[in-house]
Amino acid sequence: MVRKSKLFHIIAYTFLSLFAIINIVPLFWMVVNSFKEEQEYSRSPFSLPSHLQFSNYAGAWKVANMNTYFLNSIIITFVSLAVTVLLGSLAAYFLSRFTFKLRGTVYGLFLLGMLVPIHATLIPIFLIMQKVHLLDTRLALILPYTAFHLSLTVFILEGFMRGFPKDLEESGVMDGAGIYRIFWSILLPITRPALATVVILNFIYNWNEYLFALVLITSGSLKTLPLGLSNFAGIETASMTLQMAALTIALIPIIIFYLLLQKQLVSGMTAGAVKG
Amino acid sequence: MHTLKRTKLAIFLGLFPALLIYLGIAIVPIGLSLYYSLMDWNGIGSMSFVGLDNYLDILKDDIFWLSVKNNLIIMVTGLAGQIPLGLVLALLLNRKMKGSGFFRTIGFMPVVISSVMVSMIWGMVYNTEYGMLNNVLGLFGAESWKQNWLGDSKWSMLSISIAYIWQNCGLYMVIFLAALQNIPDEVNEAAALDGATGLKRTLRITIPMIRGTIMVGVVYSISNSFRVFDLIQIMTGGGPAHQTEVMTIYMYNSAFMNMRYGYGSAVSILILLFSLIVISLLNRLGREKNA
Repeated sequence: MVRKSKLFHIIAYTFLSLFAIINIVPLFWMVVNSFKEEQEYSRSPFSLPSHLQFSNYAGAWKVANMNTYFLNSIIITFVSLAVTVLLGSLAAYFLSRFTFKLRGTVYGLFLLGMLVPIHATLIPIFLIMQKVHLLDTRLALILPYTAFHLSLTVFILEGFMRGFPKDLEESGVMDGAGIYRIFWSILLPITRPALATVVILNFIYNWNEYLFALVLITSGSLKTLPLGLSNFAGIETASMTLQMAALTIALIPIIIFYLLLQKQLVSGMTAGAVKG
Repeated sequence: MHTLKRTKLAIFLGLFPALLIYLGIAIVPIGLSLYYSLMDWNGIGSMSFVGLDNYLDILKDDIFWLSVKNNLIIMVTGLAGQIPLGLVLALLLNRKMKGSGFFRTIGFMPVVISSVMVSMIWGMVYNTEYGMLNNVLGLFGAESWKQNWLGDSKWSMLSISIAYIWQNCGLYMVIFLAALQNIPDEVNEAAALDGATGLKRTLRITIPMIRGTIMVGVVYSISNSFRVFDLIQIMTGGGPAHQTEVMTIYMYNSAFMNMRYGYGSAVSILILLFSLIVISLLNRLGREKNA
């Protein structure tokens, strides 16, 4: 019996280690080789770099316009996120704390959005943006990012706010506070845990988005990080180490973000997938 | 009475902006897609009504059927890879063991990296001349095993599937792990009293307990497989010669490369239909099994 469980232990650890290695090796290989010159890489792709070569990083940062892409991604991600969370929490407040005739319909409508694949809306959105002359502007991305993440945002926040006791608002009403005052100073502060989840989810989805950016943005000065990176790869096919450096630059912030907020990210993205 | 009116106004004002953006950009366009799919339009000239011609043309196009086939490959390999692998990992990590936190962290990491980066990294792994995979094979002297992983139609879809599984497997791992951790302790204790241990307990008790979650994972994996775009667009662009094209890329090319917006919209409606059909079939299957 004991021998059997020991054997099982060994098999389990071997399997898990193999899995971890497969997950890590492509990333590790890329980071290590980003410190080599092109010739050194093609000569010995598996050795550690003979000396740390930062020229790829300087090159990638300049050639790939990394600062422009980072800036665009930061602006677009955070504006969409702020709008989504503000509008979403407001909608969730009314859906969870009030009863009115169309409540069920409105809530159902919001849920529907989680089933809509963005491909089914891509062409009309492109044509609408073209018509209202928003094509190739930051707003062209902020609007769909907001629209498509309102569903999940409302769903999570509504569920959370619904759980509060019924008499929560009473003290506010006694004090003569208005509906929006109650929302801002009573409801919102205690919704903080759910808000954190929603903010993190919106951040990661917006930050990584590619398809809308590909279709709606054309000028280099407005490209987001994923779009810019993919373009850079198309142009700089000759230098793999330069590409690796650019990818490593983009990878590091997201890995740090993940390691810091792992718990919320994992539970949030799991909920997003299961509900979506 | 007066205050009631004010409450109504407040509710309306609070919901209106969210509804406006959401309906205008996420819901109305689906209707527009349906409308455009009946039109012939290059975006500049006038739109003309063609009825179901777009759909008929699509169904006559061999490249479209090739893209359907590739979608099915992604769907099947995705299911066969992600679900069992995710389940085994979750079962292993659900036990009290050293390092389970570490494995979970590493396992979920690819899920948070953008699919653009995943595609670029795997594109370099698969690179024929300088890629990691061929270099590793060279290291072991397996020169004859070296392949043009993304360029050779014998290997390209498999290579893409592996990158796809690599990217998503961790998500299923944590979904199943969360379900396993929700199984009440009494169930396991009762099983232990009945003498059910090890593999038998896992197969007879643990897995049936989380069958609902596994089903959710299956449905999610299928609907996800119809949405694949970034990965293939960046790794191969659907090439060489349409060999790795999937429906979303077929749609993108018809609308944004060939400027056939009506035709592209019809493709997008077909994608929606296909995924709905598969998922409703699956739901019916699941219900019959339960009955």
